[in-house]
Amino acid sequence: MIEAVGLVKTYGRGRALDGLTFTVGKGVTGLLGPNGVGKTTLIRMLATVLAPDEGELRLLGRDPAGDRLEIRRRLGYLPQEPGYQRGFTVFEFVDYVAILKEMVERRARHDEVRRVIEEVGLTSVSGKRIRTLSGGMRRRLGIAQTLLGDPELILLDEPTVGLDPEQRLRFRELISHIGQDRAVVLSTHQTEDVAALCNRVVVLKAGRCEFEGTPEEIRALAEGRVWFSAEKSGVLSWRTGDGLFRNIGPAPEGARLAEPTVEDGYLLLLGGTAAEAAA
Amino acid sequence: MSTWHMDDGLAVRYADGELNPTLAASVEAHLLACDQCRSLLAPRVPRSRLDRVWAEVADAVDTPAPGPFERLLRAIGVHDHTARLLGATHSLRLPWIAASTVALLFAALASGETTRWGLLSYLTLAPILPVAGVAVAFGRDGDPAHEIGLAAPYSMFRLMLMRAAAVLTSSSALALVMGLGLLDDDWTVAAWLLPSLALTSLTLVLSSRFDPRHCGAAVAATWLVVVVATNLREPSLAMFGGAGQAGYLAITFVSVVLLFFRRKEFS
Ligand SMILES: [Zn+2]
Repeated sequence: MIEAVGLVKTYGRGRALDGLTFTVGKGVTGLLGPNGVGKTTLIRMLATVLAPDEGELRLLGRDPAGDRLEIRRRLGYLPQEPGYQRGFTVFEFVDYVAILKEMVERRARHDEVRRVIEEVGLTSVSGKRIRTLSGGMRRRLGIAQTLLGDPELILLDEPTVGLDPEQRLRFRELISHIGQDRAVVLSTHQTEDVAALCNRVVVLKAGRCEFEGTPEEIRALAEGRVWFSAEKSGVLSWRTGDGLFRNIGPAPEGARLAEPTVEDGYLLLLGGTAAEAAA
Repeated sequence: MSTWHMDDGLAVRYADGELNPTLAASVEAHLLACDQCRSLLAPRVPRSRLDRVWAEVADAVDTPAPGPFERLLRAIGVHDHTARLLGATHSLRLPWIAASTVALLFAALASGETTRWGLLSYLTLAPILPVAGVAVAFGRDGDPAHEIGLAAPYSMFRLMLMRAAAVLTSSSALALVMGLGLLDDDWTVAAWLLPSLALTSLTLVLSSRFDPRHCGAAVAATWLVVVVATNLREPSLAMFGGAGQAGYLAITFVSVVLLFFRRKEFS
């Protein structure tokens, strides 16, 4: 679905992407990394909004520089800030995007709009104005418009930010549902999202791909490197509820081995300083 | 309760929509009150017809009512999807049009005064309105789905041109009506037209590189400064004379050409 080799994007003197190489297939893929690591730049590039300065990118088997239109027809994209016009109703907004997706014939378009609204469970608020919706519902609305025309590739930029735990749970359900028979790429800085719903992860660090694999493989990186002990030690450690320290790194004296999580593996990947910043 | 009931033949003809309107209406009135006839009729209504009627009802309920501008566009033959895209533009909606009308009204009333400054204020304001309208239409919050739209197959350049044309047309119509209504009808009534085109197309070209709102503000401010500076000593309509108009035409031409070459910047 996506093949990227050596992507570079420069802003002023900074490099948002610095030789990024990775691939994406069917299923849900997470782009994991701390804030400001170039995730949004990358998602916009995959959405054909930005072009890379260097490197090779193939989306859905095509070159975005030449075949942009064809890619856009098979793509759904939810930016981090979609800029909803708050006076629009749910139906109006999705209908508007459907027109931008070249759905010209009115009756067929309206049927498709109703279908995607139903798919994300917003049918009962279809006539409500966007400003009256909760944050979770707005996020669902954002997902609804990506489903228009049943695209093969769906891109979601930080889709779980700002949701409370319950909304987050239901939202993950929705994403894993839509990721069943197509490719979904989402960016996130939360390892929970990755552990809960991605079957592949690309970890970004300083504009490069630090790791590519399954969440289980990230977790396995921390196997035998997470310890409980009475004293602080290791690359990173913090006190847990029962008074012991949970340490990542070499074993401290008298330590007891702990079961690692995806988070542990991720923190190890980021390394000491970045790990502190992320924690 | 009625004394008559539907027979099979009548039910079939009603279900097929073959009754004349008067008879159909009285059958409907009866159906509302009579269980027996409803159950006689139900199996005779074709499923496909019910589905079609239901789809129409659902569509009528969901479909948002178009605003006045959208209705106007449809009335003059614009496709309904295009009217939808244009109707969502801030500067083509009622509050914006109303504000423009008030501003122009004041300027036009001022030009009733005998001093040249009065007429100048009208001629100066009229070209600023489309510039402001364009800046608002393409600013970050101008489109209901800005960033999503950038990744959609619809050409943003085409949408931008359509919006600019619509904004220019609506503000020009407004200025013309106001001018004809409130001013002596000589050439001055339309002297703002070329300046309007020049400033608007200039704003569009600049928008290919900078934030449209900043471009609009810069172009409008420059225009105001030029007007005030040239008329400070002695207000005159020289800026709107033949040489001036030729200049505006040239600016328009160059801007449109540049716009064409920079069209890729918009998508
Ligand atoms: Zn009866």
